[in-house]
Amino acid sequence: MAVTEMLRMEEVSRIYRRGRLEVRALDRISLALAVGDFAALCGPSGSGKTTILNLVGCLDLPDDGRIFIEGGDIASLSSAALAALRRDRIGFVFQSYNLIPVLTAAENAGFVLELQGRPRAGIRQRVEEVLVEVGLSGLGNRRPDDLSGGQQQRVAIARALAPEPAIILADEPTANVDSATAAGLLDLMERLNAEKGITFLFSTHDERVMQRARRLLHLRDGRLV
Amino acid sequence: MDNIFLLKTGWRSIWRNRRRTLITLSSVAFGLLVSVTFTGSADYAYTNMIDTSATMGFGHVTVAAAGYNRAPSPSLVLSGCDLVLAAAVKSGVRAARLRIVAQAMLAAGGRSSGGEVMGIDPAVETGGFNVFLRDIVRGRMFTPAETRGALVGEVMARRLKLVPGRRLVYTTTDRHGEMVSGVARISGIFRTGVSGVDNGVVVLPLARLRQVLGYGRDEASFAALFLADQRQSRIVRNSLARHFTGIGREILTWRETQADLAGLIAMDRAGNYLMQFLIWLLVAAGIFNTMQMSVMERRRQFGIMQAVGMAPRWIFFLVMAEALWLGVCGLAVGVVVTLPCYLYLRHVGLNLETLIGNDYSAAGVLVDPVLRLRLFPETGLVIVGFLFFIVLAAGVYPGLVAARTRPIAAMRQR
Repeated sequence: MAVTEMLRMEEVSRIYRRGRLEVRALDRISLALAVGDFAALCGPSGSGKTTILNLVGCLDLPDDGRIFIEGGDIASLSSAALAALRRDRIGFVFQSYNLIPVLTAAENAGFVLELQGRPRAGIRQRVEEVLVEVGLSGLGNRRPDDLSGGQQQRVAIARALAPEPAIILADEPTANVDSATAAGLLDLMERLNAEKGITFLFSTHDERVMQRARRLLHLRDGRLV
Repeated sequence: MDNIFLLKTGWRSIWRNRRRTLITLSSVAFGLLVSVTFTGSADYAYTNMIDTSATMGFGHVTVAAAGYNRAPSPSLVLSGCDLVLAAAVKSGVRAARLRIVAQAMLAAGGRSSGGEVMGIDPAVETGGFNVFLRDIVRGRMFTPAETRGALVGEVMARRLKLVPGRRLVYTTTDRHGEMVSGVARISGIFRTGVSGVDNGVVVLPLARLRQVLGYGRDEASFAALFLADQRQSRIVRNSLARHFTGIGREILTWRETQADLAGLIAMDRAGNYLMQFLIWLLVAAGIFNTMQMSVMERRRQFGIMQAVGMAPRWIFFLVMAEALWLGVCGLAVGVVVTLPCYLYLRHVGLNLETLIGNDYSAAGVLVDPVLRLRLFPETGLVIVGFLFFIVLAAGVYPGLVAARTRPIAAMRQR
């Protein structure tokens, strides 16, 4: 039976503690995303958008509740298995690109493939494909410092895309680029979603992203509203 | 993850901060230079002293009658010398010489002095294995035909007013403890630079001393064996010990026959190692500091790497790859810097005569006033290996810190 549910969060809470101070970043959140969803988390700063992405991306663990990715409960996974899950099934696109500065665009795009231990020829071919897909053909040998913000974000998308993940988590992907570049990036992500069926979950303040998203999840004070 | 990719990433990472990396490489290179200079000069000096000491009588390995080394006496006689020499040759020694040594009263022209007579075979002795022949400053070595020839030290010659051609009377005890005397005619005067030797040793023909002391043709006080490399002395000793076990002989290395020298070398070597350890510690602290700073500056990068699926152990290996490159490059720079210095000091040396004079001796052995280096290949490998190990070790803790980076906290850093 094909898995149609990509992600499910059940009564998930996350509390940050600093000394005696407790901040309830998420308060019994439940949500589900189907395979191929193109959804955006929106809400003011501090509403819990990034916390959800961190939890769904297996970078953090909830204080309460359960999270299922492709039907599997992540609480049952070891740290190595979580790293493997991030590597093989989850793609990340960060607000500030977060490329590895000592690697070229092509090497950044192929970084996760290297982690997967794929053969060199296969990596080269796949990287060429994804660079074409994100519109960076011919720029593979450039270092991040030699690329514009929009180009760096495209490399970040290429890196997320290369291992053919089930879901891409994008934290404010258009926050640091101009309008034209933002539109181009959204076009690209929409196309990948449509053509490859990759699930996208954004966190955003950006109206343009919200307009493109097929599902909007509004957050306020750690709750879905 | 591919090791080549890891090494490539590590290589590029160390050059992100070029100046800091160059300083680190310089400290590794400095460590190598200091280690090679310290160890090389010590190895040269020790070898020189051991070889010089060997040529003063006992050789690198000595075969004598049991108990001779503890209480030397003409009554303790090494017999079967031909067999000993044959066995020594089989054991790969460079040269084997027989010696007879006895305490004696030396008199000439109404003056007298206590000292030691040493019988050597003029037919086979050369300056290479006998310091007295090498350091003749007046006259010459007596020939095999000159059965009453003698070499005397310069200080004793001055005290007894001896010059080549003058007569010397020596009185000693023979193998039975009876007082015996002989007459010799000075053929040469030597100056080793060690006052105790120049004031106390008279070299006589072996055959003549055998007659005087009542030794047979196949007997001597001991056989002095000379090796191409003094470090082989224990191996040769053990090899010979298998031939002569339980037949009243003792086989000793220079460490036993020259215990003062061995003690001095051991003490000096310990001090040398301590000094080098402290220098290595400083080098390691510098490298550790550099790597730790480098890791702390890149916490965000390590967080991202973990976020995209890099296992913590691979992050550790990445930092270790950087340490590996620092070690390899540091040692390469070190070799480039050290080699010319080493070659100069090995072949030309640094003359320290104005500082220590030319007659400085330690443990009864003249010390060469020219500072030279001689690094044994295995010692060089140990130094390189140890420095490399230090650089790698300095990367372990920063590597663990990098591997323990929590992605969320790290990615919040700007």
